Amino acid sequence: MQVSKSRRVFLIVNAIFMLLVCLAIVLPLWMVVITSLSSNEVAAAEGFVFIPKGLEWTSYQAVFSSSGYTGAFIRSIGVTVSATALSMALTTTMAYALAQRELAFRKFFMNAVLLTMVVDGGIIPFYMVVKQLGMIDTYASLIIPMAITTYNLILMRNFFQSLPESLMESARLDGCSEIGILCRIVLPISVPILAAILLFYAVGHWNRYFEVIMFINSSKKYTLQVLLRQLIFQSEGDGTYSVQVNNFKMAVMVITMLPILALYPFIQKYFISGLMLGSVKG
Amino acid sequence: MPGKTLQSLQTQPTSKWQLFLKRFAKQKYIFMLVIPGVIWFILFKYYPLRFIYNAFTNYGTVAHPRFTGLANFQRLFLSPNFWRAFRNTLILSFYNLIFYFPIPIILALSLNELKNHFAKKAAQFVIYIPHFLSWVVVGGLFNMMLAPSDGIINKVLVSTGILSEPIYFMASVKWFRTVLVGTEIWKSAGYGAVIYIAAISSIDTQLYDAAAVDGAGYWARTWHVTLPGIRNTIATVLLLTLARVMQMFEQILVMYNSAVMDVADVLRTFSYVEGLNRGNVGYATAIGLFTSIVSVILILGCNIFSKKVLDEEIL
Repeated sequence: MQVSKSRRVFLIVNAIFMLLVCLAIVLPLWMVVITSLSSNEVAAAEGFVFIPKGLEWTSYQAVFSSSGYTGAFIRSIGVTVSATALSMALTTTMAYALAQRELAFRKFFMNAVLLTMVVDGGIIPFYMVVKQLGMIDTYASLIIPMAITTYNLILMRNFFQSLPESLMESARLDGCSEIGILCRIVLPISVPILAAILLFYAVGHWNRYFEVIMFINSSKKYTLQVLLRQLIFQSEGDGTYSVQVNNFKMAVMVITMLPILALYPFIQKYFISGLMLGSVKG
Repeated sequence: MPGKTLQSLQTQPTSKWQLFLKRFAKQKYIFMLVIPGVIWFILFKYYPLRFIYNAFTNYGTVAHPRFTGLANFQRLFLSPNFWRAFRNTLILSFYNLIFYFPIPIILALSLNELKNHFAKKAAQFVIYIPHFLSWVVVGGLFNMMLAPSDGIINKVLVSTGILSEPIYFMASVKWFRTVLVGTEIWKSAGYGAVIYIAAISSIDTQLYDAAAVDGAGYWARTWHVTLPGIRNTIATVLLLTLARVMQMFEQILVMYNSAVMDVADVLRTFSYVEGLNRGNVGYATAIGLFTSIVSVILILGCNIFSKKVLDEEIL
């Protein structure tokens, strides 16, 4: 097909537009990383460093030499790993069971799950339940109450339901137990959706902020997100200027982004296929 | 064992209850798999509804809370802060609808026209990143970039002469809503394009070929093939956006401060602060209940509308 001149101009303009969009995302992140790797003097003078002038780890050393941030980093990882494990276990088992046609009350369970996407008691009743369970100011409050995301559950159930019935039938005839079928047949062929949902959960748990300040009272148990919020906002909010130079703040910010960004390239292809699945199904 | 159950099911017609028991015995393992999740849902999704009762008491402010009827709601509707929060929720949602909503569609259309496969993959890789950053990171990043003293945005605006002096965006009543909408676009627009990219890729390519044969240029094809092809997706996302109007919360909780309360306090932040910072649990529950009721009405309304107009349910 012949490409007309106006068409070619359009394609170029379009490519430039996309490039600008990508720059608008990458540039701030680039500056955060470069500033975090700059010396105190450079960071103090420039605020945001665009072109690196000698990279060093000073600010990272400062961050990790303060026990507050090191502890928060470890706590964040601990909470994220355990919460994601629980999320995956609960979501996978429930989604698998809900995808089985012979499950009694299947329709009832499904409707009860869907209803929770509409009916919501609000923040305070949720807090009251966690309080009644004695979880306030414990790590359990960051793991158990947010274990299942209804949307993820439905996404996974839809996927399991789209698997050919004959596959499980033949395994059942071979005398395979339900749990055996789930572990040995269903899970291995569900890796893309599992990876996508694992990423969603891990990101959700790692990025958690509001539930942490709601449920956790002692600052010794705060996660990285809460400390970053305090570092950046509380110093400016009340008019007093922060004592920390930008490179320190940005080093904490990089540490807060790092696990997600490190995970993202590997899981990206899965999460896109998983997402497509979800979005095609509505 | 399963074979035996099956046989007895076939041979002797039993009562409904026995049938159920047999069915249950056959699938007790499947049932065991569903139980932990069901318990979780009961505990964290249904049991909280019990505490809605607090909305009709003076819980939190006195030692022995008692039933006070609609007193909390009366207080609510007389409170200027409540109306301020309600107004801010609606205004911010409206701004998001006008300024944010079209951008994912534009991004998807633009991505679709990137002919270089590598460039397309790279662009997709980049534009989804901000969605995975927390509001604390995104809010913190913009807070620093917009800072009046050493923020890069003020520096650039002042040095290019666009501004004569720096603006403290994060504490400016005039600018704060712009900051909220802008950060929302930065964080979510790329990821929001995914659903449209999926919809565009499912359009039959023969339609494009046919249009090209008819001499349709890019705009004509976009207008007559692509947009009609993703019309239902656009409508669904629009309705979902409307249905979630009342959910606005974490972004504001992270980014607002006392200087911009008048333009940024929304219903859920209002409820949160009243209940957990001030301890007015009953009152805060009433605010939450009001928010939930409006939310349910919006969602059901959108669903009915969607059924009528699009012939499909969004729920």
